[in-house]
Amino acid sequence: MLLEARDVSKSFGSFRAVSGANLTIEEGEIVGLIGPNGAGKSTFFNCLAGDMPVTTGQIIFDGRDITRASPEAHARIGIGRTFQLPATFEDMSVLDNVMVGAFLRHPHRDDAREHARKIIELTGLTAHASNWARSLGTPGRKRLEIARVLASQPRLMLLDESLAGLTPAELRDAIGLVKRIHEMGITLVIVEHIMEVIMTLTRRVLVFNQGHVIASGKPEDVVKDPAVIDAYLGHGDVPRRG
Amino acid sequence: MKRLSPTRLGFAVFAVALLLYPLVFTNPFFLDIGVTFLLAAISASAWNIVGGYAGQISVGHSMFFGLGAYAPLLFYQWLGWPPMAGIPIGIAASVVLAIIIGMPTFRLTGHYFSMATIAVAELIRIFTGTWDFVGAAIGLQGPATARGWWDLTFRGETPYYYIFLGVLAVLLFITHTIERRRFGYYLRAIKARERAARSLGVPVLQIKMKALMLSATFTSLAGSLYAIKTGFIDPESGFGILVSVQMVIIAALGGAGTLFGPLLGALILIPLQSATNTWFGGGGSGLTYILYGGIIVLIARFEPGGLFELWHRVVAKYRSRRHAA
Repeated sequence: MLLEARDVSKSFGSFRAVSGANLTIEEGEIVGLIGPNGAGKSTFFNCLAGDMPVTTGQIIFDGRDITRASPEAHARIGIGRTFQLPATFEDMSVLDNVMVGAFLRHPHRDDAREHARKIIELTGLTAHASNWARSLGTPGRKRLEIARVLASQPRLMLLDESLAGLTPAELRDAIGLVKRIHEMGITLVIVEHIMEVIMTLTRRVLVFNQGHVIASGKPEDVVKDPAVIDAYLGHGDVPRRG
Repeated sequence: MKRLSPTRLGFAVFAVALLLYPLVFTNPFFLDIGVTFLLAAISASAWNIVGGYAGQISVGHSMFFGLGAYAPLLFYQWLGWPPMAGIPIGIAASVVLAIIIGMPTFRLTGHYFSMATIAVAELIRIFTGTWDFVGAAIGLQGPATARGWWDLTFRGETPYYYIFLGVLAVLLFITHTIERRRFGYYLRAIKARERAARSLGVPVLQIKMKALMLSATFTSLAGSLYAIKTGFIDPESGFGILVSVQMVIIAALGGAGTLFGPLLGALILIPLQSATNTWFGGGGSGLTYILYGGIIVLIARFEPGGLFELWHRVVAKYRSRRHAA
Protein backbone atom coordinates (compact mmCIF):
# COMPACT_ATOMS: atom_id res chain seq x y z
CA MET A 1 0.00 0.00 0.00
CA LEU A 2 1.35 3.41 -0.96
CA LEU A 3 -0.98 5.79 0.87
CA GLU A 4 -3.50 5.27 3.62
CA ALA A 5 -5.75 7.87 5.23
CA ARG A 6 -7.31 6.56 8.44
CA ASP A 7 -10.43 8.19 9.82
CA VAL A 8 -9.32 11.68 8.74
CA SER A 9 -11.38 14.63 9.96
CA LYS A 10 -10.84 18.32 9.46
CA SER A 11 -12.76 21.05 11.27
CA PHE A 12 -12.72 24.83 10.92
CA GLY A 13 -14.07 26.01 14.25
CA SER A 14 -17.41 24.32 14.67
CA PHE A 15 -17.70 23.46 10.96
CA ARG A 16 -16.56 19.95 10.10
CA ALA A 17 -15.38 19.96 6.47
CA VAL A 18 -14.22 16.35 6.41
CA SER A 19 -15.60 13.70 8.73
CA GLY A 20 -13.89 10.36 9.25
CA ALA A 21 -12.68 9.83 5.68
CA ASN A 22 -10.76 6.66 4.87
CA LEU A 23 -8.72 5.98 1.75
CA THR A 24 -6.17 3.40 0.69
CA ILE A 25 -4.18 3.67 -2.51
CA GLU A 26 -2.04 0.95 -3.98
CA GLU A 27 1.09 1.81 -5.97
CA GLY A 28 0.23 2.38 -9.64
CA GLU A 29 -3.48 3.15 -9.10
CA ILE A 30 -5.46 6.13 -10.37
CA VAL A 31 -8.09 7.14 -7.83
CA GLY A 32 -10.73 9.82 -8.37
CA LEU A 33 -12.27 12.08 -5.73
CA ILE A 34 -15.58 13.57 -6.77
CA GLY A 35 -18.47 15.35 -5.15
CA PRO A 36 -20.54 18.52 -5.42
CA ASN A 37 -19.03 21.91 -4.56
CA GLY A 38 -18.32 22.24 -0.86
CA ALA A 39 -18.43 18.47 -0.33
CA GLY A 40 -15.02 18.45 1.40
CA LYS A 41 -12.96 16.76 -1.30
CA SER A 42 -10.54 19.68 -1.72
CA THR A 43 -10.08 19.93 2.04
CA PHE A 44 -9.37 16.20 2.19
CA PHE A 45 -7.01 16.62 -0.75
CA ASN A 46 -5.17 19.43 1.06
CA CYS A 47 -4.83 17.21 4.14
CA LEU A 48 -3.28 14.48 1.98
CA ALA A 49 -0.86 17.04 0.51
CA GLY A 50 0.23 18.27 3.96
CA ASP A 51 -1.17 21.70 3.23
CA MET A 52 -3.71 21.51 6.05
CA PRO A 53 -3.15 19.77 9.37
CA VAL A 54 -5.81 17.17 10.07
CA THR A 55 -7.94 17.62 13.18
CA THR A 56 -8.04 13.89 13.89
CA GLY A 57 -6.92 10.80 12.04
CA GLN A 58 -3.71 9.55 10.53
CA ILE A 59 -2.06 9.57 7.10
CA ILE A 60 0.52 6.92 6.22
CA PHE A 61 2.73 7.03 3.12
CA ASP A 62 4.81 3.99 2.27
CA GLY A 63 4.67 2.82 5.88
CA ARG A 64 5.67 6.23 7.27
CA ASP A 65 3.38 8.41 9.38
CA ILE A 66 3.16 11.77 7.57
CA THR A 67 0.14 13.14 9.42
CA ARG A 68 2.05 16.16 10.77
CA ALA A 69 4.62 16.44 7.96
CA SER A 70 5.03 19.79 6.18
CA PRO A 71 4.31 20.24 2.44
CA GLU A 72 8.10 20.40 1.85
CA ALA A 73 8.50 17.03 3.56
CA HIS A 74 5.68 15.62 1.43
CA ALA A 75 7.54 16.70 -1.70
CA ARG A 76 10.79 15.20 -0.47
CA ILE A 77 9.27 11.77 0.17
CA GLY A 78 7.59 11.78 -3.23
CA ILE A 79 4.14 13.38 -2.97
CA GLY A 80 3.54 16.13 -5.53
CA ARG A 81 0.44 18.24 -6.03
CA THR A 82 -1.17 20.76 -8.35
CA PHE A 83 -3.55 23.54 -7.31
CA GLN A 84 -7.17 24.16 -8.23
CA LEU A 85 -6.23 27.66 -9.44
CA PRO A 86 -2.90 27.31 -11.26
CA ALA A 87 -0.14 28.54 -8.95
CA THR A 88 2.63 29.08 -11.47
CA PHE A 89 5.54 31.43 -10.77
CA GLU A 90 4.38 34.20 -13.06
CA ASP A 91 7.58 36.24 -13.34
CA MET A 92 9.71 33.22 -14.16
CA SER A 93 10.05 31.50 -17.52
CA VAL A 94 8.39 28.16 -18.18
CA LEU A 95 11.81 26.50 -18.02
CA ASP A 96 12.66 28.19 -14.71
CA ASN A 97 9.30 27.12 -13.27
CA VAL A 98 10.02 23.51 -14.09
CA MET A 99 13.60 23.84 -12.84
CA VAL A 100 12.29 24.78 -9.38
CA GLY A 101 10.66 21.34 -9.28
CA ALA A 102 13.72 19.64 -10.78
CA PHE A 103 16.06 21.12 -8.16
CA LEU A 104 14.52 18.80 -5.56
CA ARG A 105 16.38 15.79 -6.97
CA HIS A 106 19.03 17.63 -9.03
CA PRO A 107 20.73 20.30 -6.90
CA HIS A 108 23.11 21.45 -9.65
CA ARG A 109 21.76 23.88 -12.19
CA ASP A 110 22.93 22.11 -15.33
CA ASP A 111 21.47 18.77 -14.18
CA ALA A 112 18.22 20.45 -13.16
CA ARG A 113 17.98 22.24 -16.51
CA GLU A 114 18.60 19.07 -18.48
CA HIS A 115 15.94 17.20 -16.49
CA ALA A 116 13.51 20.11 -16.79
CA ARG A 117 13.95 20.19 -20.58
CA LYS A 118 13.02 16.50 -20.79
CA ILE A 119 9.89 17.10 -18.74
CA ILE A 120 8.98 20.16 -20.82
CA GLU A 121 9.21 18.05 -23.94
CA LEU A 122 7.11 15.29 -22.37
CA THR A 123 4.40 17.76 -21.40
CA GLY A 124 4.36 19.49 -24.78
CA LEU A 125 5.62 22.86 -23.57
CA THR A 126 8.82 23.03 -25.61
CA ALA A 127 7.61 25.91 -27.78
CA HIS A 128 6.96 27.98 -24.64
CA ALA A 129 10.09 27.06 -22.67
CA SER A 130 11.61 30.53 -22.71
CA ASN A 131 8.31 32.43 -22.36
CA TRP A 132 7.13 33.95 -19.11
CA ALA A 133 4.69 31.73 -17.24
CA ARG A 134 2.29 34.69 -17.15
CA SER A 135 2.12 34.66 -20.96
CA LEU A 136 0.44 31.23 -20.93
CA GLY A 137 -3.32 30.76 -20.99
CA THR A 138 -5.16 28.60 -18.46
CA PRO A 139 -4.52 25.29 -20.30
CA GLY A 140 -0.82 26.12 -20.57
CA ARG A 141 -0.58 27.04 -16.91
CA LYS A 142 -2.28 23.82 -15.85
CA ARG A 143 0.11 21.88 -18.03
CA LEU A 144 3.03 23.82 -16.56
CA GLU A 145 1.92 22.94 -13.04
CA ILE A 146 1.85 19.27 -13.96
CA ALA A 147 5.31 19.60 -15.55
CA ARG A 148 6.68 21.30 -12.47
CA VAL A 149 5.43 18.54 -10.18
CA LEU A 150 6.65 15.85 -12.58
CA ALA A 151 10.12 17.40 -12.50
CA SER A 152 10.25 16.74 -8.76
CA GLN A 153 9.97 13.02 -9.60
CA PRO A 154 7.04 12.13 -7.35
CA ARG A 155 5.77 8.62 -6.62
CA LEU A 156 2.27 9.98 -5.98
CA MET A 157 0.71 12.92 -7.82
CA LEU A 158 -2.33 14.74 -6.49
CA LEU A 159 -4.11 16.57 -9.31
CA ASP A 160 -6.61 19.19 -8.12
CA GLU A 161 -8.97 19.89 -11.02
CA SER A 162 -5.99 20.09 -13.36
CA LEU A 163 -8.21 19.32 -16.33
CA ALA A 164 -11.03 21.73 -15.57
CA GLY A 165 -11.78 24.63 -17.91
CA LEU A 166 -10.29 23.00 -21.01
CA THR A 167 -11.87 22.79 -24.45
CA PRO A 168 -12.77 19.26 -25.67
CA ALA A 169 -9.60 19.11 -27.79
CA GLU A 170 -7.41 20.35 -24.92
CA LEU A 171 -9.13 17.88 -22.63
CA ARG A 172 -8.26 14.96 -24.93
CA ASP A 173 -4.61 16.07 -24.95
CA ALA A 174 -4.58 16.46 -21.18
CA ILE A 175 -6.11 13.00 -20.66
CA GLY A 176 -3.39 11.62 -22.93
CA LEU A 177 -0.76 13.37 -20.80
CA VAL A 178 -2.17 11.95 -17.56
CA LYS A 179 -2.13 8.47 -19.12
CA ARG A 180 1.53 8.92 -20.08
CA ILE A 181 2.34 10.01 -16.53
CA HIS A 182 0.60 6.91 -15.21
CA GLU A 183 2.57 4.74 -17.61
CA MET A 184 5.73 6.15 -16.03
CA GLY A 185 4.67 4.30 -12.86
CA ILE A 186 3.33 7.31 -10.98
CA THR A 187 0.30 6.79 -8.76
CA LEU A 188 -2.42 9.42 -9.19
CA VAL A 189 -5.21 10.92 -7.11
CA ILE A 190 -7.48 13.14 -9.18
CA VAL A 191 -10.04 15.61 -7.86
CA GLU A 192 -12.30 16.40 -10.77
CA HIS A 193 -15.79 17.57 -11.66
CA ILE A 194 -15.62 16.41 -15.26
CA MET A 195 -17.07 12.91 -15.31
CA GLU A 196 -15.46 12.16 -18.68
CA VAL A 197 -12.07 12.44 -16.98
CA ILE A 198 -13.12 10.27 -14.07
CA MET A 199 -14.73 7.63 -16.28
CA THR A 200 -11.77 7.54 -18.69
CA LEU A 201 -8.88 7.61 -16.27
CA THR A 202 -9.83 6.10 -12.95
CA ARG A 203 -10.55 2.57 -11.84
CA ARG A 204 -11.76 3.60 -8.41
CA VAL A 205 -13.69 6.62 -7.18
CA LEU A 206 -14.55 8.11 -3.78
CA VAL A 207 -17.61 10.34 -3.63
CA PHE A 208 -17.71 13.10 -1.01
CA ASN A 209 -20.80 14.87 0.24
CA GLN A 210 -21.09 17.17 3.25
CA GLY A 211 -17.72 16.04 4.55
CA HIS A 212 -18.45 12.32 4.38
CA VAL A 213 -17.43 9.64 1.89
CA ILE A 214 -20.85 8.52 0.69
CA ALA A 215 -19.76 5.98 -1.90
CA SER A 216 -16.67 4.33 -3.31
CA GLY A 217 -15.96 1.78 -6.00
CA LYS A 218 -15.71 1.48 -9.77
CA PRO A 219 -16.76 4.69 -11.56
CA GLU A 220 -19.43 2.95 -13.62
CA ASP A 221 -21.02 1.58 -10.43
CA VAL A 222 -20.67 4.74 -8.42
CA VAL A 223 -22.51 6.94 -10.93
CA LYS A 224 -25.53 4.68 -10.60
CA ASP A 225 -25.50 4.83 -6.81
CA PRO A 226 -28.73 6.55 -5.66
CA ALA A 227 -26.87 8.34 -2.84
CA VAL A 228 -24.48 9.83 -5.37
CA ILE A 229 -27.25 10.88 -7.72
CA ASP A 230 -29.10 12.42 -4.83
CA ALA A 231 -25.99 14.30 -3.66
CA TYR A 232 -25.45 15.86 -7.09
CA LEU A 233 -28.95 16.56 -8.30
CA GLY A 234 -31.43 15.60 -5.67
CA HIS A 235 -33.00 13.38 -8.34
CA GLY A 236 -31.85 12.41 -11.84
CA ASP A 237 -28.48 11.63 -13.44
CA VAL A 238 -24.96 12.56 -12.50
CA PRO A 239 -23.87 15.36 -14.89
CA ARG A 240 -21.79 14.01 -17.69
CA ARG A 241 -19.74 16.16 -20.01
CA GLY A 242 -20.70 15.60 -23.56
CA MET B 1 32.63 37.89 -33.01
CA LYS B 2 29.71 37.52 -30.63
CA ARG B 3 27.70 40.74 -30.27
CA LEU B 4 27.08 42.20 -26.83
CA SER B 5 23.44 42.52 -25.80
CA PRO B 6 22.27 46.09 -25.04
CA THR B 7 22.12 45.23 -21.32
CA ARG B 8 25.66 43.81 -21.22
CA LEU B 9 26.99 46.66 -23.30
CA GLY B 10 25.31 49.14 -20.97
CA PHE B 11 26.83 47.37 -17.97
CA ALA B 12 30.33 47.37 -19.49
CA VAL B 13 30.13 51.11 -20.20
CA PHE B 14 28.80 51.74 -16.69
CA ALA B 15 31.58 49.67 -15.09
CA VAL B 16 34.28 51.60 -16.97
CA ALA B 17 32.58 54.89 -16.07
CA LEU B 18 32.58 53.90 -12.37
CA LEU B 19 36.28 53.05 -12.49
CA LEU B 20 37.19 56.33 -14.18
CA TYR B 21 34.80 58.62 -12.28
CA PRO B 22 37.26 59.87 -9.60
CA LEU B 23 39.86 60.54 -12.27
CA VAL B 24 37.45 62.68 -14.29
CA PHE B 25 35.48 64.37 -11.51
CA THR B 26 38.18 65.52 -9.11
CA ASN B 27 36.00 68.22 -7.53
CA PRO B 28 35.22 67.17 -3.88
CA PHE B 29 31.50 67.88 -4.38
CA PHE B 30 31.22 65.39 -7.24
CA LEU B 31 33.49 62.91 -5.50
CA ASP B 32 31.20 63.04 -2.48
CA ILE B 33 28.19 62.34 -4.71
CA GLY B 34 30.08 59.36 -6.16
CA VAL B 35 30.88 57.94 -2.71
CA THR B 36 27.31 58.50 -1.50
CA PHE B 37 26.00 56.81 -4.64
CA LEU B 38 28.17 53.74 -4.01
CA LEU B 39 27.13 53.51 -0.38
CA ALA B 40 23.45 53.79 -1.32
CA ALA B 41 23.94 51.15 -4.03
CA ILE B 42 25.59 48.76 -1.53
CA SER B 43 22.78 49.25 1.03
CA ALA B 44 20.00 48.87 -1.54
CA SER B 45 21.67 45.84 -3.16
CA ALA B 46 21.97 44.23 0.28
CA TRP B 47 18.28 44.95 0.98
CA ASN B 48 17.46 43.59 -2.47
CA ILE B 49 18.56 40.05 -1.53
CA VAL B 50 15.75 39.61 0.98
CA GLY B 51 13.33 42.35 -0.13
CA GLY B 52 13.72 42.10 -3.91
CA TYR B 53 14.56 38.48 -4.66
CA ALA B 54 12.69 36.80 -1.79
CA GLY B 55 9.89 39.41 -1.66
CA GLN B 56 10.15 39.78 2.13
CA ILE B 57 9.77 43.51 2.55
CA SER B 58 11.85 44.88 5.40
CA VAL B 59 11.07 48.46 6.36
CA GLY B 60 13.57 48.42 9.20
CA HIS B 61 16.87 47.49 7.61
CA SER B 62 18.40 50.49 9.35
CA MET B 63 18.72 48.22 12.41
CA PHE B 64 21.49 46.31 10.61
CA PHE B 65 22.96 49.48 9.12
CA GLY B 66 23.02 51.13 12.56
CA LEU B 67 24.60 48.13 14.29
CA GLY B 68 27.26 48.07 11.61
CA ALA B 69 27.82 51.81 11.99
CA TYR B 70 28.01 51.88 15.79
CA ALA B 71 30.31 48.87 16.26
CA PRO B 72 33.50 50.38 14.70
CA LEU B 73 33.12 53.69 16.52
CA LEU B 74 32.39 51.93 19.80
CA PHE B 75 35.64 49.98 19.43
CA TYR B 76 37.49 53.21 18.79
CA GLN B 77 35.75 55.17 21.55
CA TRP B 78 36.13 52.65 24.38
CA LEU B 79 39.17 50.59 23.42
CA GLY B 80 41.07 52.91 21.13
CA TRP B 81 41.18 50.16 18.52
CA PRO B 82 41.06 50.88 14.79
CA PRO B 83 37.40 51.30 13.83
CA MET B 84 37.58 48.51 11.28
CA ALA B 85 38.10 46.04 14.14
CA GLY B 86 34.43 46.56 14.98
CA ILE B 87 33.20 45.55 11.52
CA PRO B 88 32.98 41.78 12.26
CA ILE B 89 31.25 42.51 15.58
CA GLY B 90 28.66 44.68 13.80
CA ILE B 91 28.08 41.92 11.27
CA ALA B 92 27.79 39.25 13.98
CA ALA B 93 25.31 41.37 15.96
CA SER B 94 23.27 41.99 12.79
CA VAL B 95 23.13 38.29 11.93
CA VAL B 96 22.01 37.44 15.47
CA LEU B 97 19.32 40.13 15.25
CA ALA B 98 18.25 38.78 11.85
CA ILE B 99 17.79 35.32 13.38
CA ILE B 100 15.82 36.73 16.31
CA ILE B 101 13.45 38.61 14.00
CA GLY B 102 13.26 36.11 11.14
CA MET B 103 12.70 32.87 13.02
CA PRO B 104 9.30 33.77 14.50
CA THR B 105 7.97 36.08 11.77
CA PHE B 106 8.93 34.01 8.73
CA ARG B 107 6.80 31.16 10.07
CA LEU B 108 3.75 33.39 9.73
CA THR B 109 2.01 34.50 6.57
CA GLY B 110 1.08 38.13 6.04
CA HIS B 111 2.95 41.31 6.88
CA TYR B 112 4.37 40.30 10.26
CA PHE B 113 7.96 40.42 9.06
CA SER B 114 7.58 43.97 7.72
CA MET B 115 5.89 45.13 10.91
CA ALA B 116 8.51 43.45 13.11
CA THR B 117 11.40 45.06 11.24
CA ILE B 118 10.00 48.58 11.50
CA ALA B 119 9.12 48.10 15.18
CA VAL B 120 12.54 46.71 16.16
CA ALA B 121 14.42 49.39 14.21
CA GLU B 122 12.43 52.15 15.91
CA LEU B 123 12.89 50.57 19.35
CA ILE B 124 16.65 50.37 18.84
CA ARG B 125 16.74 53.99 17.63
CA ILE B 126 14.86 55.23 20.68
CA PHE B 127 16.92 53.06 23.04
CA THR B 128 20.22 54.18 21.50
CA GLY B 129 19.18 57.80 21.90
CA THR B 130 18.99 57.38 25.68
CA TRP B 131 21.97 55.08 26.31
CA ASP B 132 25.13 56.93 27.38
CA PHE B 133 27.44 54.02 26.56
CA VAL B 134 26.71 54.52 22.88
CA GLY B 135 26.77 58.32 23.09
CA ALA B 136 22.99 58.71 23.57
CA ALA B 137 21.45 61.38 21.32
CA ILE B 138 24.84 63.01 20.65
CA GLY B 139 26.32 59.92 19.05
CA LEU B 140 29.91 58.75 18.60
CA GLN B 141 32.93 60.08 16.78
CA GLY B 142 35.78 58.34 15.01
CA PRO B 143 39.46 59.34 14.87
CA ALA B 144 39.91 62.97 13.80
CA THR B 145 43.31 62.23 12.28
CA ALA B 146 44.72 58.94 11.12
CA ARG B 147 47.14 57.12 13.47
CA GLY B 148 47.96 54.81 10.58
CA TRP B 149 46.39 53.40 7.44
CA TRP B 150 44.40 50.95 9.58
CA ASP B 151 42.23 53.79 10.88
CA LEU B 152 40.95 54.21 7.31
CA THR B 153 40.81 57.95 7.86
CA PHE B 154 41.74 59.62 4.59
CA ARG B 155 41.89 63.29 3.66
CA GLY B 156 40.34 62.91 0.25
CA GLU B 157 37.32 60.98 -0.94
CA THR B 158 39.08 58.92 -3.61
CA PRO B 159 40.35 56.06 -1.34
CA TYR B 160 36.81 55.67 0.08
CA TYR B 161 35.43 55.65 -3.41
CA TYR B 162 37.54 52.69 -4.48
CA ILE B 163 37.00 50.78 -1.21
CA PHE B 164 33.22 51.19 -1.61
CA LEU B 165 33.44 50.23 -5.27
CA GLY B 166 35.30 47.05 -4.32
CA VAL B 167 32.65 46.11 -1.75
CA LEU B 168 29.89 46.79 -4.28
CA ALA B 169 31.65 44.60 -6.85
CA VAL B 170 31.91 41.74 -4.35
CA LEU B 171 28.25 42.09 -3.38
CA LEU B 172 27.12 42.12 -7.02
CA PHE B 173 29.26 39.09 -7.76
CA ILE B 174 27.70 37.19 -4.83
CA THR B 175 24.19 38.25 -5.90
CA HIS B 176 24.90 37.20 -9.50
CA THR B 177 26.15 33.81 -8.28
CA ILE B 178 23.01 33.41 -6.15
CA GLU B 179 20.81 34.24 -9.14
CA ARG B 180 22.30 31.35 -11.10
CA ARG B 181 22.08 28.75 -8.34
CA ARG B 182 19.26 26.76 -6.78
CA PHE B 183 19.13 29.29 -3.94
CA GLY B 184 18.25 32.08 -6.39
CA TYR B 185 15.54 30.05 -8.10
CA TYR B 186 14.08 29.20 -4.71
CA LEU B 187 14.09 32.87 -3.66
CA ARG B 188 12.12 33.86 -6.76
CA ALA B 189 9.72 30.95 -6.31
CA ILE B 190 9.04 32.00 -2.71
CA LYS B 191 8.43 35.57 -3.82
CA ALA B 192 6.02 34.44 -6.55
CA ARG B 193 3.97 31.83 -4.65
CA GLU B 194 5.17 30.60 -1.32
CA ARG B 195 2.57 27.85 -1.02
CA ALA B 196 3.41 26.40 -4.43
CA ALA B 197 7.12 26.62 -3.65
CA ARG B 198 6.63 24.60 -0.47
CA SER B 199 4.70 21.96 -2.38
CA LEU B 200 7.77 21.51 -4.62
CA GLY B 201 10.02 20.86 -1.66
CA VAL B 202 11.45 24.36 -1.23
CA PRO B 203 12.54 24.72 2.44
CA VAL B 204 10.94 28.14 2.71
CA LEU B 205 11.95 29.09 6.26
CA GLN B 206 15.56 28.05 5.73
CA ILE B 207 15.85 29.95 2.44
CA LYS B 208 14.28 33.11 3.85
CA MET B 209 16.58 32.98 6.87
CA LYS B 210 19.69 32.57 4.72
CA ALA B 211 18.60 35.50 2.55
CA LEU B 212 17.95 37.70 5.58
CA MET B 213 21.28 36.84 7.21
CA LEU B 214 23.20 37.56 4.01
CA SER B 215 21.29 40.79 3.53
CA ALA B 216 21.96 41.81 7.16
CA THR B 217 25.67 41.07 6.71
CA PHE B 218 26.11 43.46 3.80
CA THR B 219 23.79 46.10 5.23
CA SER B 220 25.87 46.05 8.39
CA LEU B 221 29.04 46.37 6.32
CA ALA B 222 27.51 49.36 4.55
CA GLY B 223 26.81 50.93 7.96
CA SER B 224 30.41 50.34 9.04
CA LEU B 225 31.75 51.93 5.87
CA TYR B 226 29.47 54.92 6.36
CA ALA B 227 30.60 55.45 9.97
CA ILE B 228 34.29 55.02 9.15
CA LYS B 229 34.03 57.44 6.24
CA THR B 230 32.04 60.16 8.02
CA GLY B 231 33.73 59.59 11.40
CA PHE B 232 30.45 60.13 13.14
CA ILE B 233 27.23 58.31 13.93
CA ASP B 234 24.08 59.22 15.87
CA PRO B 235 20.74 57.41 16.34
CA GLU B 236 19.03 59.16 13.42
CA SER B 237 21.77 58.62 10.82
CA GLY B 238 22.24 55.00 11.97
CA PHE B 239 18.82 53.67 12.88
CA GLY B 240 16.50 56.37 11.44
CA ILE B 241 13.47 55.42 9.36
CA LEU B 242 14.80 57.39 6.38
CA VAL B 243 17.82 55.08 6.21
CA SER B 244 15.50 52.09 5.77
CA VAL B 245 13.10 53.85 3.42
CA GLN B 246 15.95 54.99 1.20
CA MET B 247 17.08 51.38 0.67
CA VAL B 248 13.55 50.29 -0.26
CA ILE B 249 12.95 53.21 -2.62
CA ILE B 250 16.27 52.92 -4.41
CA ALA B 251 15.76 49.18 -5.04
CA ALA B 252 12.10 49.64 -6.05
CA LEU B 253 12.86 52.58 -8.34
CA GLY B 254 15.54 50.71 -10.24
CA GLY B 255 13.90 47.30 -10.06
CA ALA B 256 13.63 45.13 -6.95
CA GLY B 257 14.75 41.56 -7.56
CA THR B 258 17.12 42.50 -10.37
CA LEU B 259 20.91 42.61 -10.16
CA PHE B 260 21.42 46.15 -11.40
CA GLY B 261 18.09 47.67 -10.34
CA PRO B 262 19.48 49.10 -7.06
CA LEU B 263 22.39 50.66 -8.96
CA LEU B 264 20.03 52.32 -11.39
CA GLY B 265 17.85 53.54 -8.53
CA ALA B 266 20.85 54.99 -6.69
CA LEU B 267 22.11 56.58 -9.88
CA ILE B 268 18.87 58.55 -10.13
CA LEU B 269 18.02 59.21 -6.49
CA ILE B 270 21.39 60.24 -5.04
CA PRO B 271 22.14 63.06 -7.52
CA LEU B 272 18.50 64.16 -7.15
CA GLN B 273 18.90 64.31 -3.38
CA SER B 274 22.16 66.24 -3.67
CA ALA B 275 20.49 68.68 -6.03
CA THR B 276 17.55 69.34 -3.68
CA ASN B 277 19.95 69.73 -0.74
CA THR B 278 22.01 72.22 -2.75
CA TRP B 279 19.01 74.19 -4.01
CA PHE B 280 17.06 74.37 -0.79
CA GLY B 281 19.76 73.94 1.87
CA GLY B 282 18.65 73.35 5.48
CA GLY B 283 15.25 74.91 4.79
CA GLY B 284 14.36 71.98 2.56
CA SER B 285 15.04 69.18 5.03
CA GLY B 286 11.41 68.01 4.82
CA LEU B 287 11.76 67.76 1.05
CA THR B 288 13.37 64.33 1.36
CA TYR B 289 10.10 62.95 2.71
CA ILE B 290 8.13 64.58 -0.10
CA LEU B 291 10.61 63.28 -2.67
CA TYR B 292 10.40 59.73 -1.31
CA GLY B 293 6.61 59.86 -1.09
CA GLY B 294 6.35 61.15 -4.65
CA ILE B 295 8.64 58.40 -5.95
CA ILE B 296 6.62 55.70 -4.14
CA VAL B 297 3.41 56.98 -5.74
CA LEU B 298 4.98 57.15 -9.21
CA ILE B 299 6.50 53.66 -9.02
CA ALA B 300 3.31 52.10 -7.67
CA ARG B 301 1.16 53.81 -10.33
CA PHE B 302 3.28 53.59 -13.47
CA GLU B 303 6.08 51.05 -13.11
CA PRO B 304 5.72 48.60 -10.18
CA GLY B 305 8.54 46.48 -11.63
CA GLY B 306 10.93 49.44 -11.53
CA LEU B 307 12.89 51.14 -14.32
CA PHE B 308 14.86 48.02 -15.15
CA GLU B 309 11.66 46.26 -16.19
CA LEU B 310 10.85 49.26 -18.38
CA TRP B 311 14.32 48.92 -19.94
CA HIS B 312 13.74 45.21 -20.62
CA ARG B 313 10.42 46.01 -22.30
CA VAL B 314 12.05 48.65 -24.51
CA VAL B 315 14.82 46.21 -25.49
CA ALA B 316 12.27 43.46 -26.22
CA LYS B 317 10.24 45.85 -28.40
CA TYR B 318 13.37 46.98 -30.24
CA ARG B 319 14.35 43.35 -30.88
CA SER B 320 10.91 42.33 -32.11
CA ARG B 321 10.86 45.34 -34.50
CA ARG B 322 14.29 44.45 -35.84
CA HIS B 323 13.17 40.85 -36.19
CA ALA B 324 10.09 41.93 -38.13
CA ALA B 325 12.06 44.27 -40.42
